[in-house]
Amino acid sequence: MADDAASQEDVLKGIIGQPTGKSRVVVERGPVQHFADAVLSTSAIYHDPQAAENAGFDNIPAPPTWPFAMEFSGKFEEIQPADAPSGNPLMTAVGPLMAKGGLILHGEQEFIYHRPVLVGDVLVSEGHIVDAYQKESKGRTMTFIVQETNWNDDKTGEPVVTARFNLIHRA
Amino acid sequence: MGENKLSFDTVQVGDEAPSISHKLTRTDLVKYAGASGDFNPMHHDEVAAQAAGQPSVFGHGMFSMGLLGTAVTDYVGVGNLTRYQVRFARQTWPDEVLTSKIVVTGKREEGGKKLVDLAVTLSNGDGEDKLVGEATAAIA
Repeated sequence: MADDAASQEDVLKGIIGQPTGKSRVVVERGPVQHFADAVLSTSAIYHDPQAAENAGFDNIPAPPTWPFAMEFSGKFEEIQPADAPSGNPLMTAVGPLMAKGGLILHGEQEFIYHRPVLVGDVLVSEGHIVDAYQKESKGRTMTFIVQETNWNDDKTGEPVVTARFNLIHRA
Repeated sequence: MGENKLSFDTVQVGDEAPSISHKLTRTDLVKYAGASGDFNPMHHDEVAAQAAGQPSVFGHGMFSMGLLGTAVTDYVGVGNLTRYQVRFARQTWPDEVLTSKIVVTGKREEGGKKLVDLAVTLSNGDGEDKLVGEATAAIA
């Protein structure tokens, strides 16, 4: 058991810094509008180009949590980076834990915005594992893994949004 | 670039944003699934959720974060957030009334930006926190 715990610790240390993927997405008006409706926003800015322009935007902006969902509608196969790594080290660590049971939870989510995401943007991402550790809580082993994804403007390279996803495995 | 809503000069620490309250429906969850691509059956398939031992379907954590985000941008203006973070404290269930609470915890000038810090929570009618987090907006 102690050996098992030690090797799990090594696995977690080993994934810190590893790449989790690259992608390229197109931000389109229809999906942004549906997403704004789905998070119950009634702001005209997400629907009406004139309202967006009046509020000072160059195009319709996306709601704050849109970056978490934008690969679903905008990650077209033919525009994906050729050098995207295959496999995700998140699974290397979580796979053996899940094999023993337990629950996977989305523990925390954070976004750092460098500028608003706008309809018409083409964004490229690079993700890394930035932290992975275990601690005991109420007699249970909790495993925490933090993945950071940086989204940049494909044309200018400027940073647009940084997303931090904290996954928890509760044994 | 951003909607002009909140004034840095007049906002005060301790100010509270108008709260939004929403009774969660299964339709909300189906809409969010379709808009986000999260088709985990625990969020829309009552039969599968009950077979997995859940009393019913339950909400996507990211639906809650999106709803609270709507309350935040209604207050600070669309396009002004520089940071938004939450911890997912509890699951949400259909028919729960989810209510936002947004309190100004700080105002500061940093790197030529006028920043307002907020404590943000989403809770149910029994006062149980579903989301606990923070946000920062750059405003004029």
